[in-house]
Amino acid sequence: MTDAWIVSIAFAAVLVVAGLACLLLMRNLIKLFIGIEVVAKGVSLILLSSGWARDNVLVAQSLVVTFIVVEVCLVATALALIINITRKTKSLDVRKLARLKG
Amino acid sequence: MVLHIALLAGLVLFSALAILARDLIKSAISLAVSSLLLGIIFFRMGAPYAGVFEISVVAGLITVLFILTIALTKTEGDVRESKLARIVFPLAFVVFALVDALVMKGLLARIPMLQSAAPPGTFSDVLWKERTLDLVGQIAVILAGVFAVLALFRKRDHHD
Repeated sequence: MTDAWIVSIAFAAVLVVAGLACLLLMRNLIKLFIGIEVVAKGVSLILLSSGWARDNVLVAQSLVVTFIVVEVCLVATALALIINITRKTKSLDVRKLARLKG
Repeated sequence: MVLHIALLAGLVLFSALAILARDLIKSAISLAVSSLLLGIIFFRMGAPYAGVFEISVVAGLITVLFILTIALTKTEGDVRESKLARIVFPLAFVVFALVDALVMKGLLARIPMLQSAAPPGTFSDVLWKERTLDLVGQIAVILAGVFAVLALFRKRDHHD
């Protein structure tokens, strides 16, 4: 039991760092958002395995459920924003945003 | 334990694939597969509600939203990613995974067994009685999301 939750947290750390690296390196807006989703997966895995470490999954589970619902709202709003940005700049490139005129 | 590690490795692998794949549809589907694996891990940790939410909402709804967005923005052409990203990302990923594995292996024997807390009841007890304020906040967030999407897609006024 002790080993299993440490292993989970190790893998979750890899997920969070991979998502952050994606946010730093990629240019496509949808790819950037996929990076945010990967970070969110890592965070929910950390939340649940920290609850699992103390044999008290219930509180962690209710937090994860709340987190997932908030994540869906975030995704819906951000994808709507991406569609609007793409209509305005005619491109998915994040660098084009720096050249926006009013 | 072996199955647990295999599921976690699959989760990390498909997430990396989602970031690295050139085709956006392929990366959306890899993200869905990694959510499915995460849901199975939640089930195995003894959190069935979180697993159900992860599989139905994240693997289902968010993938549909992603594919819809990709379809709506497809005509705008492909974005060229920098060549640096293609080289640096896998390198950074592997290096961090190795460092992480070494650090965690060093920590494995040193962390004392945590005291286990007494289970406070059922999931619905915890969700509705202990986390009531969270639920109010959650409703506020959902409403904010709805209004944000409505505001982003509203039609322009004629005199605008």
